[in-house]
Amino acid sequence: MARIAGVNIPTQKRVEIGLTYIYGIGPTRAKQIIGKLGISAEKRVNQLSDDEVLRIRELIDRDYTVEGDLRRDVSIHIKRLMDLGCYRGLRHRKNLPVRGQRTHTNARTRKGKAKPIAGKKK
Amino acid sequence: MTRSVWKGPFVDGYLLKKSEKQRGSGRNEVIKIWSRRSTILPQFVGQTFGVHNGQKFIPVLVNENMIGHKFGEFSPTRTFYGHAADKKAKRK
Repeated sequence: MARIAGVNIPTQKRVEIGLTYIYGIGPTRAKQIIGKLGISAEKRVNQLSDDEVLRIRELIDRDYTVEGDLRRDVSIHIKRLMDLGCYRGLRHRKNLPVRGQRTHTNARTRKGKAKPIAGKKK
Repeated sequence: MTRSVWKGPFVDGYLLKKSEKQRGSGRNEVIKIWSRRSTILPQFVGQTFGVHNGQKFIPVLVNENMIGHKFGEFSPTRTFYGHAADKKAKRK
């Protein structure tokens, strides 16, 4: 069991994949990390030596913002937009799509589950 | 796609002149502009612009955080009054 960047305990998957369980690390960064440390992509997380785990941990701490810090950064950015009174901020406030998508139909991810309109029939 | 850096930020030229002129003079009053597409530059900070939304000029006091955004972002063009009323109207 390997604990990297706080709470994340990726399993017996390949290192490349296991690392993507960390918020802020996707396939690209995972590849970068194992590239920099010269760890074979074939290796599973449970085959990593303690030293390798340590080096991964250090590298992530040093070079990437991840997990809580990243989440905080993102919410600060969103909050900045909201306080600014710009169009993107307004869309965030209203929980509508921010990047100009249509809202006539769809947009359910932002709007949540469809609410029926009372008395629409007849 | 982001704009190429070598081009610099896009601003309609006459805004620079207008802003400059006001700096020199009394330093209040809203500057009316139609150019919603222009980027807000650092030298506009502290001035108030009336940004046209198609109908009126919306006063926008520029602060540092707004640098890099466009003027149009601060002047909404649509009004939404909500749907509440159409419930009874459609019943019959």
